Amino acid sequence: MTGTLDAAPAVATAPPARIRRRHNAPIALRLTAHVVLIGGVVVALAPFVWMVATSFKRPQDVFTPTPNLLPTDARTGEWAGTFANHLQVLDLGGFATATLNSVIVAVVLIPGKLLLDALAAYAFARIPFPGRDALFLVVLATIMVPGIALLVPKVFVTQELGLGDSLSGVIVPSLVSAFDIFLLRQFFLTLPSELEEAAMIDGAGRLRIFWSLALPLARPALAVVTITSFIFHWNELLWPLVILSDQDEYTLPLALQALAAGRVAQPHLVMAGAVIAVLPVIGIFLVFGRRILDGIQLTGMKS
Amino acid sequence: MNGVHRPSSWHRRRRDALAGFAFTAPAMLHTLVFMLVPAGAALYFSFTEWDMISPARWAGLRNYREILFDSDLYPDFWKSVRVTALYALLSVPASLVTGFVQAYLIDLVRRGQAFYRLVFYLPVITAEAAVAAIWKWLYDPQFGLINAGLDVLGVAGPDWLGTPGVVIPALALIAAWQSGTAMLIFLAGLKGIPRTYYEASEVDGANRWQQLGRITLPLLRPTTFYLVVTGVIAALQVFGIVYVLFGGNAGPERSGLSYVLHLYLFGYRNGAMGAASAMSVLLFVTILLVTAAQFRLVPRQYEG
Repeated sequence: MTGTLDAAPAVATAPPARIRRRHNAPIALRLTAHVVLIGGVVVALAPFVWMVATSFKRPQDVFTPTPNLLPTDARTGEWAGTFANHLQVLDLGGFATATLNSVIVAVVLIPGKLLLDALAAYAFARIPFPGRDALFLVVLATIMVPGIALLVPKVFVTQELGLGDSLSGVIVPSLVSAFDIFLLRQFFLTLPSELEEAAMIDGAGRLRIFWSLALPLARPALAVVTITSFIFHWNELLWPLVILSDQDEYTLPLALQALAAGRVAQPHLVMAGAVIAVLPVIGIFLVFGRRILDGIQLTGMKS
Repeated sequence: MNGVHRPSSWHRRRRDALAGFAFTAPAMLHTLVFMLVPAGAALYFSFTEWDMISPARWAGLRNYREILFDSDLYPDFWKSVRVTALYALLSVPASLVTGFVQAYLIDLVRRGQAFYRLVFYLPVITAEAAVAAIWKWLYDPQFGLINAGLDVLGVAGPDWLGTPGVVIPALALIAAWQSGTAMLIFLAGLKGIPRTYYEASEVDGANRWQQLGRITLPLLRPTTFYLVVTGVIAALQVFGIVYVLFGGNAGPERSGLSYVLHLYLFGYRNGAMGAASAMSVLLFVTILLVTAAQFRLVPRQYEG
């Protein structure tokens, strides 16, 4: 819950040899691998295709004896795709409000936590001060605590602070992530100290160095933290569920959960809601995917 | 930077100390309020009877005793333990094996590595609520895609989410679909194995299967171990998917009642916060023990 990402020191791999295994597999073997992989791709994507197709179907076209991967008329087989489900879910299903709430959470939470995490990470990495290592150890220790173990008292603390039942209650408790501090610290450690020395001789203070020197240099690490945090918090279900009770405050996963829990099976509406909920994340992932995956591969974190 | 001696070094140390405290203060305060205080509180409240409205009353070990031994008060506690254990036992291997096969094949091909990686990771970044909603519809016994596909093969598919014995395997299948994390980490592990090992074994006349068994798999042991540990920790905390799939009734004969779902429904929602805290502490201790046991089970050294 708090830990955006499951903690792990860099993934243990074999000796540090940087030699990439060159492709020496015979062509027949590579082709077989492709065939199997493409089969895997079909399996991996089928649920998404099924979701999108269903979301465009009219109610009378949903329940067909043979599943239809296109939104066509159940009888005539003609194209009958419609946006009616998406619009209905946005309006009556409360998904417009939920989208807005999710956007508010993301827009406030992500920059806020980037700033707080980067400030602390920079100090832990670059500024010598008494008690630094002890404080950092405390932060590291909190990575090990599974979020669920603190659920009840965290709700209590959040309510005591007057943040219960509001989007602030979703945002504020997540404003600091120990794992992201750890990750950013690792990055700041790699910066050459000559740059700072030079800036200090020019009379720059720590804040100035942090803001105009260290942060811009940390952009790749900040990008990884931004995107993984966005995905995690956009998708998060349990914490908003225990904090929010008013439907007007629901974020998208909550709205989707409420819709899916309906007594009557309405797959076309639920799938329309699912499309709305996953679209931004998938869009961002398709744009930045490669960089995120490289980052995850390097650090061994999982969303 | 530490040992630069200059006339102003005392000033600089003082300024650094101030900057250091100021920079870390917000994060440390946050850690105190939202991690350390709750950690202490979880332990304290677990020894109390508390409904979050009236003040907590000291109850000693009663919560623990009742949860563990009083099957009248908590009839489903051990059920939820069994459900969660079975889920971890099936879902972790399912996603690890799938992820390894994907990684091994991706490492084998020359073109399309980036594409395959991206596609296999998509299910991981999809919201749990959406994953559950999609699979509920995929698993629909009458109109779902899966049973229709099985129909084509001449197999009559079960009512996946409606048959008690099938629910957990069905969840493990979803975990296999979400194998992207394992795939990614295994791929990093594979890329870290030096090619010289394979070359040397080729000189000795080893075939591909022998290389897989004698080089690749042993050298991936630390990677596998990491994935098993993090996978089990995550599996023990499974909640979102079962909550969205089954809601408050937790599936047929409560077959989808995971530990955290039980905690949420029978502790949190009932207002039995003391008991819910005790269940959290028990889970935390279990996770620690399981992790420690895994560390002991794995030999300290691996050949390589």
